[in-house]
Amino acid sequence: MLTRRKFVQLTGVAGGGLVIGIGLLESCEQQKKPPKNPLPNTQNGFGDNNGSAIGEYLQIRPDGQVFINIVKHEMGQGIASGLMAIVAEELDADWDRVHVVYSDPIPGLANWAGGSTSTLNEWGIMRSAGALARKLLIQAAAKGWAVDKEDCFTDNNHVHLKDSENKVEYGELVDKIVFDPSESEVTELKDKKQFKLVGKVFSNKIIPDIVLGKHPYALDIRLPEMKYAAIERAPVFGGRLVDFEATEALQLPGVEQVVPIKGFVLDGSSHIRDGVAVIANSTWTAFQARKKLKITWEAGEKSNIVHERFLEEAHQRLREEDGYVAYSKGDVDTYPDAEKTISHTYEFPYQHHACMEPLNATAIFMEDRCEVWTGTQAANYMLGNIEKHLGVPKENIKLHCHPSGGGFGLRYWASHGMEALLVSKAAGGQLVKMVYSREDDIQFDFLNPLEINTHTMGFKEGDPVTWQLKGALDNWGGLCAWMIYDVPNVHAELIGLKGFTQMSAWRSVMANAEGFSTECFIDEVAVELGEDPLEFRLGLLPEGTEVQLNHKYPCKIDRIRKALKTVAQKGNWGRPMEEGSGQGIAVYPYMHGNGYAAAIAEVSIESGQVKVDKIFVAIECGLVINPDFVKKQMEGGVIWALSALFYGGTEYDKGKVTRSNFHDNKVLRIHETPEIEVYVCESDEEQPWGVGEIAPPVTYPAVCNAIFAATGKRIRKLPISTV
Amino acid sequence: MKVNINGQDYEQELDPDMPVLWVLRDVLGLTATKYGCGIGQCGACTVLVDGQAMRSCTTKVRFVEDKQVQTIEGVSREFLHPVQKAWIDEQVPQCGYCQSGQIMSAIALLNENPEPTDGEIKSFMSGNICRCGTYPRIIKAIRKAAQND
Ligand code: FES
Ligand code: FES
Repeated sequence: MLTRRKFVQLTGVAGGGLVIGIGLLESCEQQKKPPKNPLPNTQNGFGDNNGSAIGEYLQIRPDGQVFINIVKHEMGQGIASGLMAIVAEELDADWDRVHVVYSDPIPGLANWAGGSTSTLNEWGIMRSAGALARKLLIQAAAKGWAVDKEDCFTDNNHVHLKDSENKVEYGELVDKIVFDPSESEVTELKDKKQFKLVGKVFSNKIIPDIVLGKHPYALDIRLPEMKYAAIERAPVFGGRLVDFEATEALQLPGVEQVVPIKGFVLDGSSHIRDGVAVIANSTWTAFQARKKLKITWEAGEKSNIVHERFLEEAHQRLREEDGYVAYSKGDVDTYPDAEKTISHTYEFPYQHHACMEPLNATAIFMEDRCEVWTGTQAANYMLGNIEKHLGVPKENIKLHCHPSGGGFGLRYWASHGMEALLVSKAAGGQLVKMVYSREDDIQFDFLNPLEINTHTMGFKEGDPVTWQLKGALDNWGGLCAWMIYDVPNVHAELIGLKGFTQMSAWRSVMANAEGFSTECFIDEVAVELGEDPLEFRLGLLPEGTEVQLNHKYPCKIDRIRKALKTVAQKGNWGRPMEEGSGQGIAVYPYMHGNGYAAAIAEVSIESGQVKVDKIFVAIECGLVINPDFVKKQMEGGVIWALSALFYGGTEYDKGKVTRSNFHDNKVLRIHETPEIEVYVCESDEEQPWGVGEIAPPVTYPAVCNAIFAATGKRIRKLPISTV
Repeated sequence: MKVNINGQDYEQELDPDMPVLWVLRDVLGLTATKYGCGIGQCGACTVLVDGQAMRSCTTKVRFVEDKQVQTIEGVSREFLHPVQKAWIDEQVPQCGYCQSGQIMSAIALLNENPEPTDGEIKSFMSGNICRCGTYPRIIKAIRKAAQND
């Protein structure tokens, strides 16, 4: 145990200054020193060209270091290390000598990160890249030794000659590699039984950079001649800038220019608002000067939307209108004589992203060329938008992709990169770092769509024979309708709503609302029929079956059952609970990434306040790259959902979001976080499936079902305040 | 104005009302201290001022003129700090953006209270938001750093 003095002393030695004094005074106490942990190796993050590049994905340097281009956006999900491990596995590289390169967009490569698909999409490509490099290294070594390549094998960054002591380090072979892109076909991949790294717990490469404060976020960019910019945007979506007066703002020391920005619609999914940008010598000065601008806005028609009325209309349309058919199986109309129907409606509100790193981009616009430094989940999409709307041909755009402090779907859109370019353009080609304040981040967020779902189930002779889902969804995305339970006639319809602002992807997308509604509804049905919620679910999930859900992959019910049974066993389903406490269960597939999860929540109620005591969660995500990475995504996903359960939603007045920062757009804090136990199921799948968005859809219903078990009260609308 | 950051004096013309956060980030180029909210709500900007945790976004630079400011850049010059070591061992960070602030708060906590209970850890750390949800691992890492000698 560290005594206080030793601890302070250590801090002092490291940091210098005042605390050293304390350490010296108490030097007699220093015999038992804390261990001197060496500094860890950090990542370079951005490559250079002094090695041997093999295809688009990797480079081996003369010192044996392997640099791997990561085309998927690293935003905390661990994708860089996960993908590097796949390459390193096939390459037999020394993990300590593998480094990440945050790749610029490579034309033709799908580099968007979302839908929990990055690992599953890159799995084959990254394996081939590693295997190809290994093949070339073996060829080079065999040639040098004048032996047959069959007599060589690889291990730990070396090519070895069988039955001999001869070995050669990869780095020594780089200038002997002959790479003919026409022969890049890879024939030999490892059998998964041979894996040494994939499937094991290994450390995340970027963590040392983070703990030393060296991780290269876009917000930390500093370039010569760079100025700082902040934009005062039209408060209402679709509103227009009429006039502005900047005299006072320009008088503040450090303010250099004030320029108008004309907004426009980028495409069906995103837009740029009208605004007035302040350019100054620091972010703080730019933020201060914004407050001194006098601006006249034309609010536009969205300012007329009143939430209560909008909701009423949405519910009415949901009851009365026919929608667009999103999914159908059998014929729900063949049972007009159902002896019993159960129907309930659930409401999932708007949600804010609140990524810890606010949106930002650094950019310079030079008419026929431009350069942007930013974090983006869809680099090629950003390039396309710059070309289309700013008229710079793609080959003249240099886009530097930085890792981000969270993305969660918000960083799909091209608007932040474009706004920085528009400011630079308006300021005569000035290099600017454009930063969203936290208030901007909340008020101009592209929100998770509000979604209302009505589920109706019809019964004959006690069995469910029809199941209908009708959803009303605000202006983005479609109904998922992942209706996995074995009911012969299933039908889902969607009604589109037009709300007050722009919607977007938000971690787990529509599976949030639909996991919540479906799994709360099934629980209600089970209880109304007098059945155990776990047994009832299992009874409607027949072993050995598959469900086609209008998706690329069929949903394998055995994988769903595995997650459900694992969580039931680990979470001790059905254990007696104290008065005022309850257990709730839920299971849901996430078909975009084909990963499935189940959860059990334990809650207790104290004077009407819900306390989540514990969450057990099991995931079936196919072949696992690193079980610890999976666990972290599940822990984070549960906490993500708890924030939305308790603090989600938004409020707006005359079209303007009234929340503004973390005091009124609350997110879960450490003292509110329950214990979370994660179980990663063994899987027979031959490939990895999605992980990042699998936990939230089961967390909401598990908690709400537990609240019912504790109180007898059903939660059909989020967020939960008191019960 | 003269400020001392990580044991080094900086002589600079500064607006005395500028928050320490922006002096660090935009004037001195010490960007490891993060901007998260600007109003003392999230803890991303936490630094130590004379050994105490402070939110640099709401601390005016004139307040630290005669004081010692420590940022995460100054925590481990030659060796890794036990808190950082525990952060790596427990694989705490996800996106990492909140973690400079989390680590500085944890160092301040252990300076004050070398053997915190879980309740004390939670209450001290409740000012630091992590949107990625690394809280369970932060608790484990602080326990571990407290035990490591
Ligand atoms: S940025 Fe200082 S507390 Fe959030
Ligand atoms: S690790 Fe991403 S916000 Fe904490």
